[in-house]
Amino acid sequence: MDAESMIASLTDRFPDDVYDADIESAIRTAAKVKPENVVDVCRYLKEELSFGHLCCEFGVDYPDRNEIEVIYMLGSYEHPVILTMKALLSRDEPEIESVVPVYWNANWYERETYELYGVKYLNHPDLKPLVLPIEMLGEWPLRKDYKGFPNKTAKNLV
Amino acid sequence: MEETVGPSEMIVHLGPQHPMMPGPFRLNAKLRGETVVDSEVDLGWIHKGIEKILENKTYLQGITIVDRICYLEALTNEEAYVGCVEKLAGIEVPERAQYIRVIVEELSRIQSHLLGMGEYASFVGFVSMFMYTIRDREDVLTLLDSVTGARITHSFLRFGGVKDDLPEGFKDDVKYVFGNLRKAIDSYEDQYSSDSIYKARTVGIGVLTADVAKDMGVSGPPLRATGVDFDIRKDEPYLVYDDLDFKVCTHRDGDVYARIQVRLDEMRESMHIIEQCLDQIPSGPIFPENTPYGKRSPVMRIPAGEVFHRVESPRGEMGFYMVSDGSEKPHRVKIRGPVYPTLQTLPPLLKGVNVADIVAIAGSMDTCTSEADR
Repeated sequence: MDAESMIASLTDRFPDDVYDADIESAIRTAAKVKPENVVDVCRYLKEELSFGHLCCEFGVDYPDRNEIEVIYMLGSYEHPVILTMKALLSRDEPEIESVVPVYWNANWYERETYELYGVKYLNHPDLKPLVLPIEMLGEWPLRKDYKGFPNKTAKNLV
Repeated sequence: MEETVGPSEMIVHLGPQHPMMPGPFRLNAKLRGETVVDSEVDLGWIHKGIEKILENKTYLQGITIVDRICYLEALTNEEAYVGCVEKLAGIEVPERAQYIRVIVEELSRIQSHLLGMGEYASFVGFVSMFMYTIRDREDVLTLLDSVTGARITHSFLRFGGVKDDLPEGFKDDVKYVFGNLRKAIDSYEDQYSSDSIYKARTVGIGVLTADVAKDMGVSGPPLRATGVDFDIRKDEPYLVYDDLDFKVCTHRDGDVYARIQVRLDEMRESMHIIEQCLDQIPSGPIFPENTPYGKRSPVMRIPAGEVFHRVESPRGEMGFYMVSDGSEKPHRVKIRGPVYPTLQTLPPLLKGVNVADIVAIAGSMDTCTSEADR
């Protein structure tokens, strides 16, 4: 199955949830997904289109649009196509369903996105900081308006 | 992991300073007798905030920063970073520069495997092996030094090319070093396969099956040891890997022994690749002409866009996702390291094993905490 038929199959199955689908090249595709149904879309991608490999999941901050994008890079062990799936969240209260039930290794990616961007993952098994100290929770250091960089070091915390 | 302990249970903290890993990381293991009941990985002891630093540096400064993600895979990190910028800016790399890149990246794969394998051998009590591998690694590092000018953090790649051409007489040096290294790798394999105590500690220990490994997002030697031939160099070829003849080394068993065997085979395959490169390398420029970006232009504006570029690092799939907004600094750089999912597999993999096998299993994954924390 090539990239075109994969995207066609995805948009046919989820006409309301998936939008802005795009084929950049034979191995790179992109789509946007509505945050409410991200788990169903991921499950379909994994089970029907063999996107069984979550390359990574992370956030990108856009303060001028007042949005945080959560990006899922979905790859596969069977075919070379990579799908860049984005979910657009409000910057004031970013919340999205966790995809850990579908992609097991999303666990740490979601913990990291939570502590760096403040994206709250609903139904995540263990949503706590991963790489940052617990004292820094709530500062969301990778947001563009974070003022602590580069002076706020571990030394200043204690 | 639940913090409460039952009768005859206790929690043992391995780390943050533990010889099991190059870099601090903590493993909290709950033991019942000598069996691991549950465990938990605690990261963040060496978090450097590289993704944030990259957002505040120009593109050229970023090359030096990505070296520091993990010094063992500095050149493949550079390749992933530089590849992103090249894709965004549409820079074509001259063929000679591509060959030089393949040569240095494969050399870096050899030295990484030698160190990883030697350290791992010392965890299972085979300390003399560490001395052998570190001796042979020094020869490979000298080769890398003669090309890049540095032993570990090279800052060698540039957008569109490389910093320097190969030195005079490099081919003869490679021939000499590889002659010795081939014999050395044969002797490692011989020593590993003939030592009954070593085999008792590694065969059938820490078995990862193909389905589980795929589900957990593992890549690199731990995945290939389960029989899955997933290799970015074949599946999504970059540079000139399409023109080179090499095979993806796999093994069936997925245990500690298989992971080491895959690394031994990969070193042989890397030497084969480098020898082909030295035979095929064309003459020509090592930096593109007619490009708006100079070799050392400190400020370069990259067209706005988003790109994901991945390469096969010594530990698996290394990918960079770069968002450019048209300014001289990237808007966002996400580093997808191979070690991150591999470390995540440790808690389920360690369930039910003997406490003495923890270091053998964790060491055989050849993880680098510095890269997982970034």
